[in-house]
Amino acid sequence: MVSMQTSSGPSDAQHGLVSRRSVLRAALLSSAFIAAPALLAACAPPTTTVATNKIFRVGWKSDIDTLNPLTTVTTEAVEVQSLIYDTLMAYGLDLKPEPSLAASTVAAGATITYTLRDGVTWHDGTAFTSDDVVYTFDLIAKNALGVNAQYFSDYVSAAAPDAKTVVVTFKRPQAFDPGLVVPIMPKHIWSSQSVDQIQKAANDKPIGTGPFTFKERKQGQSVSVTRNEKWWGDKPAAAGASWTVYTNDDLMAQALKNGEIDIIPQVPPTVFTGLQGETTLTSESLDSFSFHHIGINLSQVPGSKGNPLLLDKGVRQALGYALDRKQIAEIAYAGFASPGGSILTPSLGDFYYEPTGDAVIDNNPEKANALLDAAGYTAKDGDGIRQTKDGKPLAFRIIAISTTSTDVRTAQLFQATAAKVGIKLDFATVDSDTMASTVYNVEAPDWDIFVWGWDSGVNDPCYLLGVPLTSQIGGNNDVFYSNPAYDALYDQQATELDHAKRVAIVMQMQQMFYEDCGYLVAVYIKKLQSYGNAGWANLTAVPGGIIFNFTRDNYLKATPAGS
Amino acid sequence: MPPLLRRVLVLCASIFAVLTFNFFLFHIIPGDPIRLIARSQRLDPEAVARLRTTYGLDGSLPEQYGKYLSNLAHGDLGYSFSLHENVADIVGRALLNTLILLTVSTLIVVLVGIAIGVFAGSRQGTRSDSTTVVTSLVFWSLPTFWVGMLLVFIFGVWIGGLPISGITTPNAVYGNWFQYISDIGRHLILPTLTLAIVDIAFFVIITRTSLLEVMGEDYMLTARGKGLSRRTMVWKHATRNALLPVVTASVLYISALVAGAIQVEVVFSWPGMGLLMYNSVMARDYPTLEACFLLTSVAVLVANFCADLIYRRLDPRVTVGT
Repeated sequence: MVSMQTSSGPSDAQHGLVSRRSVLRAALLSSAFIAAPALLAACAPPTTTVATNKIFRVGWKSDIDTLNPLTTVTTEAVEVQSLIYDTLMAYGLDLKPEPSLAASTVAAGATITYTLRDGVTWHDGTAFTSDDVVYTFDLIAKNALGVNAQYFSDYVSAAAPDAKTVVVTFKRPQAFDPGLVVPIMPKHIWSSQSVDQIQKAANDKPIGTGPFTFKERKQGQSVSVTRNEKWWGDKPAAAGASWTVYTNDDLMAQALKNGEIDIIPQVPPTVFTGLQGETTLTSESLDSFSFHHIGINLSQVPGSKGNPLLLDKGVRQALGYALDRKQIAEIAYAGFASPGGSILTPSLGDFYYEPTGDAVIDNNPEKANALLDAAGYTAKDGDGIRQTKDGKPLAFRIIAISTTSTDVRTAQLFQATAAKVGIKLDFATVDSDTMASTVYNVEAPDWDIFVWGWDSGVNDPCYLLGVPLTSQIGGNNDVFYSNPAYDALYDQQATELDHAKRVAIVMQMQQMFYEDCGYLVAVYIKKLQSYGNAGWANLTAVPGGIIFNFTRDNYLKATPAGS
Repeated sequence: MPPLLRRVLVLCASIFAVLTFNFFLFHIIPGDPIRLIARSQRLDPEAVARLRTTYGLDGSLPEQYGKYLSNLAHGDLGYSFSLHENVADIVGRALLNTLILLTVSTLIVVLVGIAIGVFAGSRQGTRSDSTTVVTSLVFWSLPTFWVGMLLVFIFGVWIGGLPISGITTPNAVYGNWFQYISDIGRHLILPTLTLAIVDIAFFVIITRTSLLEVMGEDYMLTARGKGLSRRTMVWKHATRNALLPVVTASVLYISALVAGAIQVEVVFSWPGMGLLMYNSVMARDYPTLEACFLLTSVAVLVANFCADLIYRRLDPRVTVGT
């Protein structure tokens, strides 16, 4: 069998499936209130591009799963759908919310009122109205359909007082506006189907209101869309976009060099270094909203088969001191990552906490040894492995997904540095499904330590900060961390409207979580993208990626090179 | 009972056994498929129940088995976990693509293989014979994916000009059917060439060995004694008799190819059964895998059945049922 599946990039864990760590699974974890005016601000000044006959051609490794927004789980499909469907609000190139189908949004208490744009039609010519929005929200919320259902746990109702207004009522104020991510679907097409039919619908001729209309899908090969000449916004220069599946990274890189495709949104580091030297290409190493971490099983349920020694914070901190994050970034990631620390990524700006001085728990074997010595874990029988007073060895199992080579390498490097402080790590690789079912086994988690990653889908700390909440045990909380003080601070920051005060609380939370060492965040990874200079210009490199990001604007604003 | 009828009954029984085995194989695999579908998503019990119904996973195992059989009888192969579409549609498309590749490559591989095999076998001991045998063995021992990658490198990178991925050119606009077919034809070249380079040798060796055996038979001596030309002897008398094992090999070759030439399809992104199975394994898409396995097993059974029939025609001494 061809060994092309050994992913050389961190991308596997983050982008194969949206299921875990998804671009769209920003958690709506507690009530909050975000000032409405912020959402209305910063509508980018209109830029006019000249429509051309050129196609924006993307190459990637995985096919989309479906064109049905209510059943899709892959980031690839979400990317394609984002050009066919519009959302009420959208992320701009500055990664801030902008009006989209909604010309304006007002959040007041537990309700959000959207005033819709005029003159919008569906791709089949039918007029778009507030009924479509109400239908979409109701459908998702009442039937818990799709990845966006999570934003509707507090949903009460949506009403359309007139054709241009939608009032959505929640049980509590919402930190996150679901209008940013829910593709609005045409009522006149979907309402005749039962929920079961909708769940099985391939939706192979999707009708949206978006800037591109669906053209064609060849399963396992490609998807393409054509510019919607009647779109309400500024017409994109690209006459269409296409996404072609390559089963092999080298083939894909070759296709980019030959000009058969214009851009690769996920280049593995090994291939990236080769592409960087090409003068005909632009290769960008961008900050991302992703980190990879070492997770430690903190479950205290009776069925837990995790090693109880890991419940000792001292042991976890010793593991933290044993971890050499710089080495991991340089060796496992070939330098396309920066050493990790806090649970928030530096791309989140002033929310990011960076430990300094004595607070740093990283690459300090002396301190690890001192901690373990003081706690009475000593190596007695000459094998170099420390033991408890009653003879239990500090030996733990560590697992990583076999195809995510960076995680495998991370585990190996960690194994070596942990051994130096007398902690034995037994490393095993698993496939991604086994990883998910092992780690997320709430009743009887049978694992000690894992290496995996997270990706924030929103430009706000709430998603990543929400991962280790007690309420997320059984959800995103993969290490079963539970800290009432942390949970309380989370609710506090989510309702804090003063930015500086919110930052202060967020800092405190990160510091707390960092010290507790339930996560040892190993690296913040870079998103590696390359595009041909002969293809498209006016592409803005933003954190998270030129494309394959939570903004679709580069598709809309790209202009043909040399024009 | 007529032997042919008995054969047909055995065939049906085998197919039934295969699909039963197939069903239980996929339903006793540890792990709850719903958990895999939902991953870390937090689902309320209602949503889980609905997913179970959607994927036909509600009810006891015998109930599910009954439903599986009745669905199968209606041509319903289930619903794909990963592609969110009816498996029958997915497999149908993939099978068509595989059949295109299979037909072209099998014809080339078998016909050219036999021709070269006869050429070598009828010149036993000569330099051209030994060259053919050695070359065949060398090619046969090459890993298929490696040959594919090599061709990709040569034609994709060095020389260029030939498509190295997919079945048609992305974004191509076709003026007429001929352009469309020739585009597919161009995409067929490298996968077919890969299969040919590696697999022709198989038929060369079998044909040659079989031909040599036949050439040593008494009736060949008689043929020579009758003063027949060498060409008539080799092609009319020897080759026809030597084809028996070649037929077996061809039939098995075809039935194996229904599973898709997995390596070739993966290397060249050819969207056939092989690539589908590969992706389904990667995504743990059990309904799709189940259908692929079923189709493959049925293909092997039917192919063997056909081989029996062809045998009878080629060699009246072989009677069906013995």
